Amino acid sequence: MKKLKKPLFPRLSKIKFPEVSYKKQKLIWAAIFLLPWATGILLLFLVPFIESLRYSFFDLTPQAGEIIKEFVGFDNYLYAFNTHVTSTSSFRVELLTTTTDVIINLPVLLIFSLFIAVMLNMKFKGRAIVRAIFFVPVILNSAAVVSAVGGGEAINAILDQQGIARIFDLEFYLLQTGMAPFLITFIVGLIERIYDILALAGVPILLFLASIQSIPKHLYEAAKIEGATSYEMFWLITLPNVTPHIITVTVYALVDTFLTSSVSTIISDELNQQNWGVSSAMAWIYVATILLILIVLGAFAKFLKIGESHYEN
Amino acid sequence: MKTNIIEQIRASYHGVVNDIKDPKKNAKRSRKAKAFGFSFVRSILLIGLCFVILFPTIQQILMALRAPSDVNNPAVIWIPENWSIMNIKIASIVLDYRHAVFNTFKLSAISMILQIGSTALAGYAFSRLRFKGSNILFLLVILTIVIPPQALSLAQYLYFRDLGLIGKEGSIYLMSGLGMGIRSGIFIYIFRSFFRGLPKELEESAMIDGAGVFRTFWSVMLPNARGALVTVGLFAFVWQWNDAYFVKIFEVSTQDFPLLTMRLINAAENMYAALFYTGGLSLIGQDVWENPVFLALISNVSALLMMLPLLIMYLFVQKQFVESIERTGIVG
Repeated sequence: MKKLKKPLFPRLSKIKFPEVSYKKQKLIWAAIFLLPWATGILLLFLVPFIESLRYSFFDLTPQAGEIIKEFVGFDNYLYAFNTHVTSTSSFRVELLTTTTDVIINLPVLLIFSLFIAVMLNMKFKGRAIVRAIFFVPVILNSAAVVSAVGGGEAINAILDQQGIARIFDLEFYLLQTGMAPFLITFIVGLIERIYDILALAGVPILLFLASIQSIPKHLYEAAKIEGATSYEMFWLITLPNVTPHIITVTVYALVDTFLTSSVSTIISDELNQQNWGVSSAMAWIYVATILLILIVLGAFAKFLKIGESHYEN
Repeated sequence: MKTNIIEQIRASYHGVVNDIKDPKKNAKRSRKAKAFGFSFVRSILLIGLCFVILFPTIQQILMALRAPSDVNNPAVIWIPENWSIMNIKIASIVLDYRHAVFNTFKLSAISMILQIGSTALAGYAFSRLRFKGSNILFLLVILTIVIPPQALSLAQYLYFRDLGLIGKEGSIYLMSGLGMGIRSGIFIYIFRSFFRGLPKELEESAMIDGAGVFRTFWSVMLPNARGALVTVGLFAFVWQWNDAYFVKIFEVSTQDFPLLTMRLINAAENMYAALFYTGGLSLIGQDVWENPVFLALISNVSALLMMLPLLIMYLFVQKQFVESIERTGIVG
């Protein structure tokens, strides 16, 4: 047996409250362990949460040292929906496109990341390297980098003009094969966005990989002895065991897409321009949208019985 | 002689025919062919995706290494004609690289440690020290994951203004230390599921050996949670490094305390002005900086410079990180 390491805080670990039972001690320590988090959630989450809900009904004007508040009712919400425009778009349009994008992309993302996770779970040469490479987009996923690399489009435009940049023009090839144009735009769009999808899929792949790892190995061994093919093993063992975690992955992907969408850029822009009331109202519309999608998805999952462990029945 | 050869050919022909007709061998062959075909398709797919992932970075590195004057040379597309580190020099002047890297590193490292501390404690309490109502409290954690930071940051800003923390790194540390940093909710979730997955016997035997609750946590549970620690640590560090939102709201990046993300965003918005004010223009000729491609190039190189420390660090941590997924079962 390994010997216990010397505790870092010998005094602290000797506190045992001898007269209280172990159960009570646990309770005391639970309170101590939760103290930083509880302070944070009270002061930095719940209070700002209520405050910002209140702000969304006010017109706030910053003055030296104080903020002048003027109650305006639902005007901020109406403004955000009806009259708000930016130089290229508006809050309503962006919210709508983001929502539809999310609904279309979520299934693609889920299937793609599950597929990749299953592949990365197989044994093959160079697996460690491939795995490491697949999480590189997670590391490099940064708004700052995106905004800086956006300047690179100028380079690409010029290269395009010279007609050398495209070594392999997929769209042209596909048109030559006589494929339907709408299919071509779909495929080309998918390929152009493959890096974005990979960047978004990093954490879902990680979560799926972890959940596949937690499936007991003896299930696969038994299946192999019974003569199941790897195709059957996927549908009958891997998939049912992974479904409870689909909810987790969905929530993560949903929140993540919204966080990186143009909607949240608009909200922070309004915040920076000190349109605080409008920005709060927009943030609440955004929260309501996410919660609505989550509730619909939850009801859907309950209807299809996704997310419940299939062992309990 | 002749008949011999013909007979030999005939025998081998029959052998081949029998071999093909043998169902057992056929099944084996088809299985082998299937396995080969499958692994072939798989490797092509994986290699292709890896290429897609690495391609932009390789392109950026090659662009960074070409001489600024190559901008005006239309023949240079991939491989630089004149190798030079001039672009990197200019970009690092624009970013105030030496200071910015140090500051960003400090900020990320300290906030990573604070995040690990607060979220590990909370995750442990939620999984191992359960009490009545702990599940309801955990719903709050889920809520912190779902609510966007934009909904809260104004009130937080006003808070910190009263505390005098605006424009100081302390604001970030306070957020991370109190478990409200960047996506702390997810970290608590990871720690909770991880600690829940550890066997109950560990705790019981520690208790019988006379360890208190804290001792059990510190010397038994935490060393076993290395996988979760690596995962959370990596994410906390990387997300803080890449964060442009909180840093902007709380005005952490200042002239005396430059941070990479803010420097990069400001420079990318107006590269010409950034070059002008930092004196980067004097390093190159007018024919070069008049070319808009050059400005885009420098902005690309700056982005590369920002990512480079992360990439190098990831090279070292990558093995533990990948293994940690293997061992943890984060979701379990």
